Amino acid sequence: MPVSFIVQMAVSGALMGLVYALVAYGFQLTYATSKSLNFGQGELVMVSAFATLSIMGTGLPYPLVVLLGLLFGALLGLAVERTGVRLALEQKSEGWILLTIIIGLFLFSFAENVWGRDDRPFPTPISSQPLNILGIDVTPVELSVAVGVLAVMLLVEAFKRTTLLGKAFEAVSADRDASELMGISATRTVMLSYALSGAVAALAGILVSPITTVGPTMASALVLKAFSVAVVAGLESGFGVVVVGLFLGALESLASFYVGSGWRDAPGLVLLILALAVRPTGVFGKAVIRKV
Amino acid sequence: MLKRLLLVRGAELLLFALLAAIPLVVTSSYALGLLTLLAIYGILLIGLDVTVGYLGQVNLGQAAFLGLGAYAAGIAVTRYGAGIPLALFMAGGLGTLLGALLALPALRLEGPQFALATLSFTALTATALNELEWLTNGAQGLSLQVPPLLGHALSKREFYWLCVLAFAAVWLAMRNLLSSQWGRAFEALRDSPIATDAMGVGTYRHKVAGFAFGSGLGGLAGGLYALNFEYLQPQGFQYELTVILLLGVVLGGRKSLWGAFVGATLVALLPNLLSSRFLFQAFSALGLAVALFAGLRGLARRTLRPFQALAPIVATATLVAGGFLVQNTEDWRKAIFALMLFSVVVGLPEGLMGFAGRALAALFRVAPPPLPPPAPLDEVLPPHLASGAPLLVLAGLKRWFGGVRAVDGLDLTVRAGQVHGLIGPNGSGKSTVVNVVSGLYAPTAGALSLRGAPLPQGSLFQAARSGVARTFQNLQLFSGMTALENVMVALRGAYRVPLPLICLGLGRGEERRAQAAALALLDFVGLGDQARTPARDLTYGAQRFLEIARALARRPDVLILDEPAAGLAHPDVLKQVELIRRVHQRGITIVLIEHHMDVVSQLCDLVTALDGGRVIAEGTPDEVKRHPRVIAAYLGAVEPAVEPAAAPPAPPAGVPAT
Repeated sequence: MPVSFIVQMAVSGALMGLVYALVAYGFQLTYATSKSLNFGQGELVMVSAFATLSIMGTGLPYPLVVLLGLLFGALLGLAVERTGVRLALEQKSEGWILLTIIIGLFLFSFAENVWGRDDRPFPTPISSQPLNILGIDVTPVELSVAVGVLAVMLLVEAFKRTTLLGKAFEAVSADRDASELMGISATRTVMLSYALSGAVAALAGILVSPITTVGPTMASALVLKAFSVAVVAGLESGFGVVVVGLFLGALESLASFYVGSGWRDAPGLVLLILALAVRPTGVFGKAVIRKV
Repeated sequence: MLKRLLLVRGAELLLFALLAAIPLVVTSSYALGLLTLLAIYGILLIGLDVTVGYLGQVNLGQAAFLGLGAYAAGIAVTRYGAGIPLALFMAGGLGTLLGALLALPALRLEGPQFALATLSFTALTATALNELEWLTNGAQGLSLQVPPLLGHALSKREFYWLCVLAFAAVWLAMRNLLSSQWGRAFEALRDSPIATDAMGVGTYRHKVAGFAFGSGLGGLAGGLYALNFEYLQPQGFQYELTVILLLGVVLGGRKSLWGAFVGATLVALLPNLLSSRFLFQAFSALGLAVALFAGLRGLARRTLRPFQALAPIVATATLVAGGFLVQNTEDWRKAIFALMLFSVVVGLPEGLMGFAGRALAALFRVAPPPLPPPAPLDEVLPPHLASGAPLLVLAGLKRWFGGVRAVDGLDLTVRAGQVHGLIGPNGSGKSTVVNVVSGLYAPTAGALSLRGAPLPQGSLFQAARSGVARTFQNLQLFSGMTALENVMVALRGAYRVPLPLICLGLGRGEERRAQAAALALLDFVGLGDQARTPARDLTYGAQRFLEIARALARRPDVLILDEPAAGLAHPDVLKQVELIRRVHQRGITIVLIEHHMDVVSQLCDLVTALDGGRVIAEGTPDEVKRHPRVIAAYLGAVEPAVEPAAAPPAPPAGVPAT
C-alpha cells in the first residue's frame, strides 16, 4: 500500500470533514445564544439544496442563485426558531428537542413529495477535473468546499467580534439575563442565530451537493456526523469543529477502506459516545463548576 | 378504598380482559396482526417511558433495543434451537446488558447530548446489524420459525395471547416499581439531582438502572417482534422508527402506563388510518374541532399563549386541507404524523392521557389510601449520646478555584453532640467548607475524617452514605413530590426488598413502614398535617422545616444546616431555633452556618469564625463576638483610618457564590 494512496484518501476524507464542521458550526451558533440546537438541521441542508436547485432552474446567474439559496436557508432557520424553539425556551423546557425533530420529519416528507425520492445531480460552474497538487489529486469542487467553509466561518467570527450586533450576540451567549437587563433583546438575538445557522446549513447543502447529488436522504448521514463533530469538539469552540471535522473525515475515509464501506459511519458514532464518556463538555470545551 | 379498587384497578382489568377477548369475536388474521403489534409496542413504549417520562431525557435509542432484542431472539432460535422462553430471555437480557453499558457513559450527560448519544447508538446498531453478515445475515434478512411452547405449536391467536400476557405482566411490574422507592428516586432525580445525591439515594445509579430496565423491556418487545414477524431486516430499526416511538410516548402521555397504551395504539394503527381517505378526513376534522375548542377557550381564559392556541389550529387545519388536496395520503405519512404531533406537543404538552387523566380525576374523586399512624420517634431517630469526643475533623483543608483560594488551610474539629457554628462575612469560605464536607467539591488539599475514618471526597452520594446530611441555602426540595414523599425518599435503611421482588409487588409492607417513619419525622418538624401537600405548595418557612425533616431521615451523624434561617419571617425564625434545639437534644451533632447572630448565640456551643478561607477566631459565641479580628472582618478595622484602602480587586468570573 503506497503511502501516497493513504494520504490521498485522508485528504479527500478531510475535505468532506469540513462539511461536517460547517454543519456542526451551525449547531454552535444557536447553542451559544439559546442552549438549543436544531435536531432537524439535516433537513434544512437538504431542503435548501433542493430549493437552490429549483431556483437554478429559472436560469439566474450562479452567484445570485447561491445568494438566494442562502436567504432561503436563513428564512427556514427563522421558521424553525419561531415554530419549534421559542415556546420551549420561554417555558425553560427541553421541548425544542422534540419539536425540531418533528419539524425535520415534516420537511423530509415535504421534500419527498415535492421534489421526489430520487437523487438528482446538482450542476455547478466549478470544474470537477482533478488537479494534481504535490502528488495528491484534488478536484476544484472539493477545494471550493474547503474555501467556502473556512471563508464563511471566518466571516461569521469577524461579524461577532467587530460589529455591534455581533457583540450583542456574544453578550447573549455569555449571559442571557444580564444582556436583557442591558437592553439587548435576547429573543431577537436568538432569531439572528437561527437565521445564521439556517444560512450556514444552506451553504453546506450547496457546497456538498455537486459531490453527493441532491436527494431526500442526502443529509441524514451528514447530520449524524455533524452531531459527532459538534459534541466531540464541544459546543463552544469554532476552531474545535474544524480540527475535529478534518480528523473525523480522514478517519472515516480510512475506516471505510480498511474495514469495509458499510462501516463508514461507525467511527464518528463511536467517537461521539467515547468523547461523551470521557469528556462530556467536549475536547475543546470548558469544564463547568456545579453550584448549589 | 373500595371505590379506588373498583375504578383504578377495575379499568386496568377491563382493558386486559377486552384485549384478551377481542380475538374470540374478531377472527380476521389482519386484525389479529394489528393487535399483536399493539401489545408489543405497548411493552416497548412502557420501557421507553422510563427514560422519557420518569428520567426526563429524550431517548432516541429504543428502536435499537427493539432491533437488538429481535436479532437476539432470532439468532437464539435459528442458530441454537432455543425455545420461546429462552429466546425471550436472551432478548430481554441483551437489551438490559447493552442498555446498562450505554447508560454508563451516556447518563452522565443531560438534554441534547444524551439525545445525541442515543441517536448515535441507534445508527451504530443499524450499521452493525447490516454489516455483521456472518451473524445476522445482513441486508438479506433473517428468517425464523416460531418454536413450539412446551411441546405445543402456537397458533397466531395463542401467540397473541402470549403477547397480551407479557404486556400485562410488564404493566404490573412497572406499576409496582413506580409506586416503590424506585419510582420516588426517579421523580427526585429529575427535580434535583444534587439533593438526590446529597440524600444518599444516588442519582447516577438510579438513572443507569432505569435506562437498563427500559432497554430490557425494549429487548423483550424485540423478542416478541421477531417471533411475530418471523423475518427480520436491519432497515426496520432505524431513525424513523425511533422517532415514531418517541413521539408515541409523547402523544399518549408521559409518565403514564395508560399513555403508553394509547401511544402504542396510535403507532400500530396509524398506517391504517391513512389508508382510508374517509377515515383520515374524519379524524383530521375531529382534531381541528378539538384544537379550535381548546385553543379558543384557552385564549378566552388567558391560560394559553397565543402561539400555543393558534399553532395547533393551523397544523390541524393543514391536515384537513391536505385530506382534500393530496392524491395519496400514504405518501405524506411522515408529514401527517409530524403535524399531529406538533399539535399535541404544543397544545397538549402532557399528552392525551395526561389531559384525560386530569379530566377523569376531577370527575371521580378517588381518595388516596389512608396513611398508617406515625412510628415512635425513638425508632426513627434513636437518641445519640453526646460524648463530646471529636467527630468531624478537618485538617489543613484547602479548596481553590483557579487562583481564588476559597478555603485556604482550615483546621476544624466538631465534637459529638455539639452545635458548632460557622460564621464569617460573605466570601469567607463557609459555603465552600460545607460543599467540600458534603462531597459536592473535592478538596484541593487536606484531610477530612468522620469518627476517625476518612470521609469520602468529592462525592455527595458517598459522603451522604457515610453519615453526613445537609440542608441547602437555596432550597433543593423535590418540588413536585409531597412532603411525605420528600422524607420517604431519603429514609436510610428503610428499603431492603430487592428489585425483582418489588416488581412482583412484595414491597408493600416495607412501604407502609417507610410511610410511618416519614410521618413521625414530619410530626417532629410540625408538618404532620401537611404530609400530602406537594413541596412546592408549602410556605417558604415550611419548606425550610421540610428540608430538615428530610435530612433527619438520613439519621445523620453530622447534620449540616446551611443558613437555615435565611429569608424566614421572625415567627418562623423562632420556630426554627426551637426545632434545631430539639434536634440537638436528640444528640445529633450539628454544624450551623448562619448570619443571624442571635440564632448563633442561642444555639451554638462553639463558634468558628472564618475570613479569607482561614479561621480567625474560635470559642463560645460571646468570645467570638468580641474578638477584634471578627469585628474587623465584619466592620473593617476600627483604628482611625490613615489613608483610604485601595478597592479590593474583583474576583474573577466563575467563582461560586458563598
